[in-house]
Amino acid sequence: MPTVVLMDVSLSMTRPVQLDGTEEFQRKNLAVHGLTMLFEHMATNYRLEFTALVAFSSLWELMVPFTRDYNTLQEALNNLEDYDKTCLEPALQGVSNIVQQEWGSTCPCQVVLVTDGSLGIGRGSLRHSLSTIKHRSEDKKFPLPFPFPAKLYIMCIANAEELQNSDTLDNLEQLLSLNGGEGQIFTVEGPLCLKNVQSLFGKLIDQAYTPFHAVLRCGNLSSDVQVFPRPEPVIMDEEVDPAPRTILTDLEIVGFIEIGDISSPPVLSRHLVLPIAVNKGFLGPTFMGTGTTDETEEENSANQMAGKSPNFCVLLHGSLKVEGMVALVQLGPEWYGMLYSQADSKKKSNLMMSLFEPGPEPLPWLGKVSQLGPTSDAKENPYGEDDSKSPFPLQPKSKRSYAQNVTVWIKPSGLQTDVQKILRNARKLPEKTQTFYKELNRLRKAALAFGFWDLLKGVADLLERECTLLPDTAHPDAAFQLSHAAQQLKLASTGDSQYAAFDHNITPMLTDFSGSGSSDRDRM
Amino acid sequence: MKMFSISHKTAFVVDHCPYMAESCRQQVEFDMLTKNRPQGVIPLAPVSKSLWTCAVECSMEYCRILYDIYPTRKLVNFIVSDSEFHILNSWNQADQSTQELMAALAAVGPPNPHEDPECCSILHGLMAAVESLCKITEYQHEARTTLMDKADRVSNRGRIICITNAKSDTHVRMLEDYVQETIQEQNKLAISSDRLMQIQQCELVLIHTYPFGEETLVSDRPKKEEEQHANTSANYDVELLHHRDAHMEFIKSGDLHPAGSTSRDSGLKETVTLKWCTPRTNSVELHFCTGAYRISPVDVNSRPSSCLTNFLLNGRSVLLEQPRKSGSKVISHMLSSHGGEIFLHVLNCTRSTLEDPPSISEGCGGRVTDYRITDFGEFMRENRLTPFPDVQGSEVAGKVPLERAKRQLERHTRYWPMIISQTTIFNMQAVVPLASLIVKESLTEEDVLTCQKTIYNLVDMERKNDPLPISTVGTRGKGPKRDEQYRIMWNELETLVRTHMGSSERHQRVLDCVLACRSKPPEEEDRKKRGRKREDREDKGEKNGKDSESERSWQESERLKAALERDREELAEAEVIKDSPDSPEPLNKKPRLEVEDVQPAEKAKGPVSLLTMWTNRINTANSRKHQEFAGRVNSVNNKAELYQHLKDENGMDPHENGKAMR
Repeated sequence: MPTVVLMDVSLSMTRPVQLDGTEEFQRKNLAVHGLTMLFEHMATNYRLEFTALVAFSSLWELMVPFTRDYNTLQEALNNLEDYDKTCLEPALQGVSNIVQQEWGSTCPCQVVLVTDGSLGIGRGSLRHSLSTIKHRSEDKKFPLPFPFPAKLYIMCIANAEELQNSDTLDNLEQLLSLNGGEGQIFTVEGPLCLKNVQSLFGKLIDQAYTPFHAVLRCGNLSSDVQVFPRPEPVIMDEEVDPAPRTILTDLEIVGFIEIGDISSPPVLSRHLVLPIAVNKGFLGPTFMGTGTTDETEEENSANQMAGKSPNFCVLLHGSLKVEGMVALVQLGPEWYGMLYSQADSKKKSNLMMSLFEPGPEPLPWLGKVSQLGPTSDAKENPYGEDDSKSPFPLQPKSKRSYAQNVTVWIKPSGLQTDVQKILRNARKLPEKTQTFYKELNRLRKAALAFGFWDLLKGVADLLERECTLLPDTAHPDAAFQLSHAAQQLKLASTGDSQYAAFDHNITPMLTDFSGSGSSDRDRM
Repeated sequence: MKMFSISHKTAFVVDHCPYMAESCRQQVEFDMLTKNRPQGVIPLAPVSKSLWTCAVECSMEYCRILYDIYPTRKLVNFIVSDSEFHILNSWNQADQSTQELMAALAAVGPPNPHEDPECCSILHGLMAAVESLCKITEYQHEARTTLMDKADRVSNRGRIICITNAKSDTHVRMLEDYVQETIQEQNKLAISSDRLMQIQQCELVLIHTYPFGEETLVSDRPKKEEEQHANTSANYDVELLHHRDAHMEFIKSGDLHPAGSTSRDSGLKETVTLKWCTPRTNSVELHFCTGAYRISPVDVNSRPSSCLTNFLLNGRSVLLEQPRKSGSKVISHMLSSHGGEIFLHVLNCTRSTLEDPPSISEGCGGRVTDYRITDFGEFMRENRLTPFPDVQGSEVAGKVPLERAKRQLERHTRYWPMIISQTTIFNMQAVVPLASLIVKESLTEEDVLTCQKTIYNLVDMERKNDPLPISTVGTRGKGPKRDEQYRIMWNELETLVRTHMGSSERHQRVLDCVLACRSKPPEEEDRKKRGRKREDREDKGEKNGKDSESERSWQESERLKAALERDREELAEAEVIKDSPDSPEPLNKKPRLEVEDVQPAEKAKGPVSLLTMWTNRINTANSRKHQEFAGRVNSVNNKAELYQHLKDENGMDPHENGKAMR
C-alpha cells in the first residue's frame, strides 16, 4: 500500500509553540519531527513501502515522487519552505492524480495529511469546499472519495482543545466520511511539545505501519515470516457478515496443487513472504532493503549469520519453483490463499502469497476447499501413476449454454440455420437418418417450448415438398422417412398431448429396405 | 457486496392470455435458397411468431445468459398467467435450468385464442410472483440457520419481470398498485411463518409487448448485471456478456468513452472492445489476476461465437488487449475455460507495489546451498490435494478431507531434515521403502515386513562395510570412518521411526526391529577404557541380537586399525551435528578438551588431521614473525630452566639441559 504524505506548508504552520524555557519551536518543526520519526520507522521496519511527499498551501507540489529511498524523503522534508494559505481541495485532487498515474485505480493507498488544523478562510478553505460539494458539475467534483481504495490519516499538529474553538474537527470528520469512513483523525494529547508529537505519530505507526509477522507452517516445518504489504481486513458482505476478517498469524499449509490446476486464480491481494530471524525480534526482515546504504556492519554480520542457517521458506520456495506448484495455505476459518514462487527477473525470485476471496469455495474449478484431501485417501491415484492425469478442474453440475446444443431463434438466422441443417440431412437419407432425426427432434422440442406450432407445420410442408423433389436415383427409404417425419411434425403442431409431449422423440420409421433405419432407431 | 441483493430472486410473469396468441407481425423466412435446389420451386410462405413465442424466447434467453454467468445464487421462478397462475419451477437450485423450463413451457403450450379474455388476467401471475418472493430460498435458509440469533441479517429482496400487454398508463399504474398492495398483504402473512420472509425491496419490471416486432422485446430486456464486451479481431467480433466488475479499472480510469467510441443501444449496455492479442499464454503461467467472471456469448450459436468458445473449451487461453486514452494498448484480460466454463480473467496492468523485491537468496537461509529441493518436491507431490465428494456426516470423526490433509502433512514432517548435509538416511536409496511407509497413518502386515526387510538390508550393508553417503560438508578431513557412519545412520533411522512409534502397534514393531538390529554403539567399549562420562543409551538393554554378537569381533579389529584417527573423527562428527538443529542429539558428545589433545605431527604416521596441519602451519608462520622467546628456544620438552646464569657462575655447562642455539 503506497503512502502519500501531504504536508501543510502554509504560513499558519510557522506559528510558534509555547515551550517552557527551551528554544522556540514552530508547528512545522514539530510536524517535521513527527514525520522524521515515521520515515525512520519505515526505513527500518517497512522498507518496501513506496512513499511520496507532497507539500501544499494554495498550490501543491510533488516534492518527492514514490520512492523507497527514505533519505531523499527526509532531505526534502528538512528543506520545506513556507508558503501562503491552506487550500486542501486542490491538494487532495493532486494526490488523487499522482496515485492514479502511478498505481491505477485499484491499488489501495494511504494518505497521511499533516496540518495544524487551520484549514483556511473563505474561498479555497475546506469549509467552503464542503459547503459547495452538492453543487458541482461533473468535471469539478470534490476529489473524495478517491477513485482508489484509500485510508486517510489526518495528523493534527494541534490538540483537541484548541481545535474545539473552531469547526475544524467537524470539517475533518466530514472529510473522513466522504472517504467512506476509511481512516482516522489524530490530535495531540496534552500541550504541544516534541514528546507529545512523538506519541501522536507513534499512534499512526501502530495503526498503519506495524509490520505483519506470522509463522508459516507445513506440518512440523515452520519459519517466522513477515508478510508485506501487511494484509488488510476484508469485509465480504456488509449485511450478513459485517465483521471484517483478518488473516491469522499462524499460516498453515494444507497441501499442494499444480500451477496448471490452480490456473491463474483471481486474488484479493498479493504479498511477499519474507523469512525473518527470530532472535532479531522486531528489527524486521534481514534482507538488505533497496536504496539503503547506511546499514551498520553489525547488522550485516547478523544478516550473514541468518543467511547461513537453513530456513523453511527458502526450501519451500525452491521446490515450488522447480516443481511448478503452489501451496494452498489456510488464512482463517474458510479463508485460503496460495504460496508460490514469483520471479522478478531471471536471478531474483521470491516467495509470494496471494489471498483468495474469503469463503468455502473461492475457486469454482477447485470446489469446496474443505473437501480437498490427500491423494493417498483416494482409491486410485487421481494424478495417475505416471502423473498424466489430474482431478482438476472440477466439472460443474450443469453445462453452460455454449457447451451444449441450445436452440436460440431470436435472430432469424438462428432459425434458418437449424432448418437448413434438417434439409441438408434430409437430402442424404438414408445415410444420415440418425442426424436427420436428431436435428428434427431438437427443432421440435424448441418449437413446442416456444409455442411456435406454425413452424412445425411449416417444416412439415418443407419435408413433404422435399419428398416430391427426390430424384429417381434416391433410395426408396428416403421418401418413407420424409413423409413419416412430416406427418409426425404435423401431429405435434396440433398440440395433441399424445404427439406434442416435450419428452417424446420422433423415431425413424421401420422399413423393409435396409437395416440402417432400424439400427438407427436403436441408437436413438 | 451483498449476498442477498435484488438479483437473488427473479420472478418471471409471462402473460398467457388469448391476446398473446396474436402474431407479432414479423415474418421469418425459413425456406432459404440452397445451391442444390432445382429450378422453379416456389419457396414456402414465411412463418410468423406469436407474441407469446416472442415473450417466451426472450425470457428463455434471459435465463440462458443468467445461468451461464451466475450458475448459482441467482434464482428464477417462472410463472405463467391466464385464467389462473401456473408456477413452472421452484427457487430450488436443482430447478434452475433452461431445459426444465422449456419442458414446462411445452406443457403449457401457446395461449388458446378462443378462451374468454374476461376470465384471464396477468394479476393472477403477479400475485403468485409476490407470494413466491416471500418464500425462503435454500440459500436464505442456510444463511439464517448459520447465523442463528442474527438471522434477521438475512434480507429478502427480489425482482418481478412481467411481460404483458399494457393497455394504458392507467393500466400500468393499476398493476404497480396491485403489486404494492399484494406485497403488504403477503408481508403480514410472512411474519408468522418460518418458511416465508417479508419482502424488503421489490423491483417491478414491466415489459410491454405489442405486434410490431421482437426488437422491442429484446432491447427492453433489463440487463442490470451484465454489460457488453466485444472481442474484435481482423476476422470477426464476438460479443460477450459478463459481470460489470471485469472493467472496473477501465471505467474508473475514464478510458471507457474515448473520443469516437460508440456506446451501443444508447447506454443500456456498455460495450468495451478488446483486441485478440497474439502472444500465446500457457496454463503453467501464473498470471496476477484480480478477478474472474463467467461469460456468455450474446449470439451463442453464431459461427464466430462458437468458434471462440470451442477454442477456449479445448483448453486454450486468449489474451486480450485494451486501448487506452493515450492511444497505447495494454494486455488487460484473459479468456480461459475451467471445467467447461469460460471465464474472463482480469489481469493487473498497473505498476506493482511489490516491484524490485529483495531476492529470497538475500534473506534468512538464503546462503544455504544444499537444501533438499528435489526431496521436498517429491514431498509436495505426495501431498497434492484432490477433491472428495461432499458426504453428509463427514464432519464427524475427523473425516473432513482437508483436516486429513493437514494430519498427513504433520505425519510426513515429524522428522524432515531440510539440508542434504543434515541427513544420511534420506540420501540412501536403501532406506526409501521404510521412509515412505513409516509416515503412513496405519501399516499393513506387508508394510511392516517391507520395513523389516529394509532394516535387514541395512544390517547387511553394514556387515559388508558398504560406504554410506555421509555428508562431508562442514567437516574436516575425509569425514567419519565407516563404523561411525553406520552409527550416525542408525541414530537417524531410529529418530525417524521413533517419531511414529505412537501411531500404531505395527509402527512400534518397526521401531523394535530397528532397535534389535542396529549395531551396538562401538564407543561403549571405548567409554569403559577411557573412563569418560557419557550419556547412556536409552535402549542399551534392548539390543544385542544374535546378529550383532557375531559382528562384534569384526568391529573390534576394525576399530583398532582406526585408533589413530579416532579423535579427529569424533570431532568431525560433532561438527556435523552442531550445524543441524533438527538432527538427533548426538549420543556421545565429547568435551571440547579434545581439541587440545592433538597429537604431535611427527607422531602421526598415518594421515594428518586438518586441524593438526593447520595448527602447525600457523605456528610456523607465526614463529617467523617474531623473535622466539629465549626461554622457549632454550627449552627441553617445553620446559626451560630458570636462572641458568646462576649455574654458569657456578661453572656449570650452560647447555647441559637445553638445546643448542639455532
